[in-house]
Amino acid sequence: MTTDADADNLLIDRVKRGDMRAFEMLVVKYQRRIERLIGRMVRDTDLVQDIAQETFIRAYRALPQFRGESAFYTWLYRIAVNTAKKQLVDLKRDPLVSEGSLANSDDGDETSRVENELTDGETPEALLASKEIAAAVNAAIEALSEDLRQAITLREIEGLSYEEIADVMNCPIGTVRSRIFRAREAIATRLRPLLDTREGERW
Amino acid sequence: MNTRPESAHDREADERNALISALADGDAAALDRGCELWRSDADARATWHAYHLIGDVMRSDDLAVRPARDQDFLASLRTRLADEPVLLAPAPVAPAATPRRRQRWLLPAAAAAGFVAVAGVTVVARMSADGAGGTLVATERPAAGPIRAVATQAEPRTRSLVYEGRFIRDAQLDAYLEAHRQAYGGRAATVPGGMPAYAEAVAPASAVQVAR
Repeated sequence: MTTDADADNLLIDRVKRGDMRAFEMLVVKYQRRIERLIGRMVRDTDLVQDIAQETFIRAYRALPQFRGESAFYTWLYRIAVNTAKKQLVDLKRDPLVSEGSLANSDDGDETSRVENELTDGETPEALLASKEIAAAVNAAIEALSEDLRQAITLREIEGLSYEEIADVMNCPIGTVRSRIFRAREAIATRLRPLLDTREGERW
Repeated sequence: MNTRPESAHDREADERNALISALADGDAAALDRGCELWRSDADARATWHAYHLIGDVMRSDDLAVRPARDQDFLASLRTRLADEPVLLAPAPVAPAATPRRRQRWLLPAAAAAGFVAVAGVTVVARMSADGAGGTLVATERPAAGPIRAVATQAEPRTRSLVYEGRFIRDAQLDAYLEAHRQAYGGRAATVPGGMPAYAEAVAPASAVQVAR
């Protein structure tokens, strides 16, 4: 199959035909990365979420102008950075905002891991949950058969298309599709106990 | 490997998840059904989330976010998106890799009932969230730029529809619209209650052109 950009374009095309809910699929796909990006510029996690939400709203509104010449994520990234910068400028003008909620926007380098972990709003329990998720994913991948592990690694880490993976693994595309799916399901099975919420249907 | 016999329920879940997996990798054949599942099936939504979380975590441990946070984010965003106009800008995003096929439209009931598509006119349809009523406003617009929203008196929980671009008239589409216009008695497109919120219209690909 195709790369991320092509996968995204399928959904974007759908959104442009009036299926607003298809946009949510893109949100779920990119929200974590966008929040991480904004978190490098802004320290307050509530503010990070606000800016991320604003980013996606702006992207939605600007979607008619998105023609698919660049990758959606590249375009979204720029919107996120611009939105964050604008918010920072607005906040700096506001005498009521504390210095602590603003990261030093002159910092080109990513702040240290320790600093990131100690941002507002991240409780030790939340950090622990995150570590458990990472550990479960890694353990599940270790436990996969070689074929499944290779397939999902080529897809997710190397970013190869199904055709390219079929080439590398010397198997039909249908087999690639099936292996990637079974790998994902095996990992998701380990993850689901960690992902279940108390209140049932949340998604 | 799973050695116990699968129930029909398991098989269905597997089929659904396989489709979600394929759509996550850009399989065009999985698009329609996958998006349908997104709308209708909470498990499918959870699966989409899980598969993408897995990819993120494989690439970077610090993207291992608790799903409750992600869910809250989406719930919040949905509320905000509900206030946004539905987009209709049907020009394909990328050159079609597949051969031309019939374009399927989702048209709101109000629009299907009686708008006149004329080059140079932007049509905005307002419909209430439950599809029970709506009005149409047509305005001239300048050559450049779409109109985002048209100011009418505020209705609670209405959703406006904005057409991007201009439509070139097509005989088949005109005939279709004319039939609907007659059925609903003229230009004032107040939709009788009982119309579904969306009417599906199949229009030939040539019917929709975004003129520049």
